[in-house]
Amino acid sequence: MNQEAAGIYFDGKSATPQAVTIVLNKLNGVLQFQTETATVERWLLGELSFENVGTTLQLQKQQPDGIAILKISDGSFAEAILKFRKANKQVGWYEKMLASGMKFHLVLALVILGLIGLTYVYAIPWVGEKSAALVPESFDDSMSGTFISDNLLFSDIASDKSKVLNAFAKELQLNNKKKLKFIFVEEDIVNAFALPDGTIVVYSGIVNKMQNYDELVALLGHEAAHVNHRHSMKMLCRNLSGYLFISAILGDANGIMATIGDNVNSFQSLSFSREFEQEADREGFAIVIKNKVDPNGMLNLFKRLQNEGDAIVPEFLSSHPVTTQRIATTRQLVKSTSHQVEANSKLQELFQQLKK
Amino acid sequence: MEEILPTKMHYKLDFKGKGETFFGIVIVNWLLTIVTLGIYYPWAKAKTLQFLFGQTTLNDDPFSFLGTGKEMFKGFIKVIALFATLIAVFGLFLYMELPAVGFIVFYLTLIAIMPMAIHGSYKYRMSRTSWRGVRFGYRGDRTEFVKLFFKWIFFTIISFGIYGSWFTINLRNYVLSNIRFGDAELNYQGDGGDYLVMNLKGYFLSVLTLGIYSFWWQKDIFEYYIDNLSLHKEDKQISFTSTATGSDFIGLIVVNFIMIVFTLGLGYAWVVTRTMKFIFDHIELEGNIDLDTLQQTEANFTDATGDDVSDFLDVDFIV
Repeated sequence: MNQEAAGIYFDGKSATPQAVTIVLNKLNGVLQFQTETATVERWLLGELSFENVGTTLQLQKQQPDGIAILKISDGSFAEAILKFRKANKQVGWYEKMLASGMKFHLVLALVILGLIGLTYVYAIPWVGEKSAALVPESFDDSMSGTFISDNLLFSDIASDKSKVLNAFAKELQLNNKKKLKFIFVEEDIVNAFALPDGTIVVYSGIVNKMQNYDELVALLGHEAAHVNHRHSMKMLCRNLSGYLFISAILGDANGIMATIGDNVNSFQSLSFSREFEQEADREGFAIVIKNKVDPNGMLNLFKRLQNEGDAIVPEFLSSHPVTTQRIATTRQLVKSTSHQVEANSKLQELFQQLKK
Repeated sequence: MEEILPTKMHYKLDFKGKGETFFGIVIVNWLLTIVTLGIYYPWAKAKTLQFLFGQTTLNDDPFSFLGTGKEMFKGFIKVIALFATLIAVFGLFLYMELPAVGFIVFYLTLIAIMPMAIHGSYKYRMSRTSWRGVRFGYRGDRTEFVKLFFKWIFFTIISFGIYGSWFTINLRNYVLSNIRFGDAELNYQGDGGDYLVMNLKGYFLSVLTLGIYSFWWQKDIFEYYIDNLSLHKEDKQISFTSTATGSDFIGLIVVNFIMIVFTLGLGYAWVVTRTMKFIFDHIELEGNIDLDTLQQTEANFTDATGDDVSDFLDVDFIV
């Protein structure tokens, strides 16, 4: 039950190779050989570590003063060693997992990636939303302060028209828990936006495109909804938790993967923002109805924004998707919701002042 | 009258690891790291180093890395404790409404830790690296190194970063020249001025050629790192020479990039193994040291205790 092979031995004291003849006892798993100094070495397979380098099997034995090494190039001998170790349960679970083959590893990789993907899509938005609730509202205010001083520094704030806009909003029920503040900026930008502290900025560019005050009501309702639902803070928390998650998972892998991950995250945040836009549309619509304003104003507003032409950007990439779909949803809402319209001369008058 | 003329010896460096094998290690490590919520990380790192060292061969005999996950875990805990303390101190300064002082203390401590981290990491990794059972060792002196490090940092700051080139090369000279391989000694002899000129040339030509020259710049850096390296034993020596060309680097980098992007990162394992193979295939050794005569000189690490032996902060090798 013995097998013999030639091997090379390093004694752990110098790099001098010694040619040895090794005998494996297949019954008790002992390797025996004689060194150049005529010492007989007996190595138990159970106490060695193994490494395959190319076609060579390298055995290492920890000794008090270092490691001694045996190199074996004989394939059938190496196989006999492995057979003994398997039969005597000396192959650990880690080694087994490594030896389970490329296909298994590939499947494993795809399963892990799939689980990461699922966590990312389902768990992260939830965590983001919950963590937004933990952030005190006072933080929303200080965050907006920085934004205003950074971004509106060079803008032409029309204080007279801002007063008119505030008066216009005062006539409306905007469902707000927070005090809203309106700023009117003279600039030819067809846009408006809301800051988390309740500041709503409206550009003259968008107001000049409007035909009727009901469109302005729809716009303010939409922006107020963003503030009411703390969309900015939720977005920030979602982005941040998504970012942290991705860097925790991929950060260690490599730079390129981490970059891909970051980009996926920002694409994802665009779709978060679409979700928020839809929510703001629904509530904006409710505000319009509540104020007895013609909901067709909302439709007209969207049509104007659509003509403004982000038509080139596909919906997937667009953050403010004024698309056919959004218009269709609103048209559906107008049809299915019973509403009362009362002409409001005060709103009409203030609206005319803004358009001047 | 024999053996007067030293005989020229043959040396061959190689990397024999297969991407497939490494992929298995990476994936199993990944799985275990996720399942253990990151605690497995030090063990994963030890396994990775064991593979990468164990598949690198010199004259067909592999190097071995004998560090363990447990040792690395201790270093890992130290880092966490260190950062927790730093953040707590920073928080204390914030609480006392002295954020500026907090920042300064935080960054100064970080800079102060750097040389100790480099020292510890070299001391640790070298003591656990061996070839044919002959251990490597790092014999740099911690106090001396920390002083030098601060001197170089100081010069770098007052020269608006120009001295940074000398900083990099002096660091290399010091650290690499203190590495022992049994009774042989490694030596690195670079010059900050040459390095600066080389990088300036590389930078401007890369800009002028819209980046195409950057592969040749990369080749120059590699060459500068390899060609200034030598191994000495008594009066004999081995010199290292790079044989890589700029177009070799194009092949390496472009293919690596394609492999990562088109496999969504799963090709990472193959990228690592072919890069290792590339590096060792392009280092030529020439000289007259008979490697068979290398003797064990470095103390065995089982009795090498001391706090400076640890792989904390994860500083990657300067090499």
